[in-house]
Amino acid sequence: MVQLPDFFSKEDELTFGLPVLFENRGYKKYRMSKFEEYSFYSDNRKFLTDDGVIAFNNADGRLMALKPDITLSIVKNAKLSEKLTRLYYNESVFRMTGTGKDFKEIKQCGVEVLGDIDTYITGEVIMLAAKSLEMIDPDYYLSLSHNDLVLSLIDECGVSVEIRKKLAGCIGSKNTHDFKKICDKYGIDSKTSNVITELSCIDLPFDEAIEKIEKLVYTDKTKAALNEIKALRSALEGSGISDRIHIDLSVTQHIDYYNGIVFRGYVEKAPSAVLSGGRYDLLAKKIRDNIGAIGFAVYLDNLNLYYRKSREFDTDILIINKDSGNTGALLKAANEFASEGRSVCVEKEKPESYRCRKTYIFENGALTEE
Amino acid sequence: MLNIALPKGRLGDKVYKLLANIGYDCSEIYDDNRKLIFTNEENGVCYLLVKPSDVAIYIAHGAADIGIVGKDILEEDNFDLYELLDLKLGKCNMCVAAPENYVEDLDRPLRVATKFTNIAKNYYLSLNREIEIIKLNGSIEIAPLLGLSDVIVDIVETGTTLRENHLKVFETIMPISARLIANKSSYKFKTAEISQLVSKLEKELENND
Repeated sequence: MVQLPDFFSKEDELTFGLPVLFENRGYKKYRMSKFEEYSFYSDNRKFLTDDGVIAFNNADGRLMALKPDITLSIVKNAKLSEKLTRLYYNESVFRMTGTGKDFKEIKQCGVEVLGDIDTYITGEVIMLAAKSLEMIDPDYYLSLSHNDLVLSLIDECGVSVEIRKKLAGCIGSKNTHDFKKICDKYGIDSKTSNVITELSCIDLPFDEAIEKIEKLVYTDKTKAALNEIKALRSALEGSGISDRIHIDLSVTQHIDYYNGIVFRGYVEKAPSAVLSGGRYDLLAKKIRDNIGAIGFAVYLDNLNLYYRKSREFDTDILIINKDSGNTGALLKAANEFASEGRSVCVEKEKPESYRCRKTYIFENGALTEE
Repeated sequence: MLNIALPKGRLGDKVYKLLANIGYDCSEIYDDNRKLIFTNEENGVCYLLVKPSDVAIYIAHGAADIGIVGKDILEEDNFDLYELLDLKLGKCNMCVAAPENYVEDLDRPLRVATKFTNIAKNYYLSLNREIEIIKLNGSIEIAPLLGLSDVIVDIVETGTTLRENHLKVFETIMPISARLIANKSSYKFKTAEISQLVSKLEKELENND
């Protein structure tokens, strides 16, 4: 963790700290333009959240958008290495709020790996996600799942897209009562619905979860998904983060884009997930090449609200300048405090509610402590 | 300490009784005062009494860990929360109602008066029916009587208000009941407390069935 002066906020700490974490593991910074052609986002609308895209016409009349998402841009534009491309970013995205009347800027910092994704890379990304959360608050949980474990079983139910969406919504909110009602209404066989219900209730540490899932999976897809989780469990053995990872099968990501391990991160003081990510080969394939892809984003917004830092003093030293000349001596005196590592501010009068360790009066070219 | 948001009013009273039955009581709640926060350190619970439509907001923002809210509110506002149990209390239906002699004119958009604008929009979208929403905050039943709307979308419990205003139910959109909801982050950090409460509630509900 980068040691910063205590007046730096949590967001500042992460803006400096996360890039160090990522650079130390060989990730290269990716900078991007804030604008992209609107059509790119409208073609991939389902990948984005429900918030609207802020669009405008450029001088040529082309419809442009303020970037609402970073992953899409990286997958489309990043120059790929032969085998593996490790990138990180520290950028803002822009979206319309739910009502469509206001705009918001959301700061995100995260990583994307494109190329041949094996268990090691998946483990590395999960570990970086855990370390990122730890940087926010040592009391964190990474909720991890596999998109194929629950969603592939819903696919086998043979229901319409609309009903599928409702079922997936129930899974995401651990709502087994409405899930069962929908299954009964649409004649989904009880074996499948019971297995999905039991799976979606799993929210346990690695080993306990694996033991429970083992007894429930029966299709090739779900068995393969469990094997991926087991391999990841072995890979993370001894990493020191396993006890902070919970297998929570209610975590899902859009099945048209995500195809493997998916995860969300929670810290104690934030009421919603502050990190989200997963394996998204399907998105990469749709936009670019037949390559693997995995990544995550840390949402920096609102962290300053949940992790407030209260400052005891505005500066260490306040100098009240009652001298009409001697500017050189005043600057020298202020510089001396600063060179000792103390913060200093010069004012003509003490500002209202100003908090400082010591106050000095500068008069007749000399300092006296108040 | 588990912070529980309870809806003020009749539903809140029913839910509090249910919680008290399983050992989460807080006798102070019956005192004649205007307090909105009641704590029982011994039981490890703190009740927050809030407007029914605000319960989910308190939970979503982490001001409370769990709460009880009508399914109508959850369907209308689409919060990112866990919905852990159907408490089967406060049962009613979200319905389309209109004057008893109403005949729909399919040749023009339907004028719908409601305070549940999203539920109404989604319902008619599923029917591919063009509508015009008239957002009202109360006394919805008089809208079609005064020609303000063709139909209303509202909660119907016994149907008495509809009958007294010469309206009747034409469609039932969905059944409504009280749900136990939890903040997703609280669920991760207070898993044991929340799971214990859920399991006690499940048993109590089974016994009541």
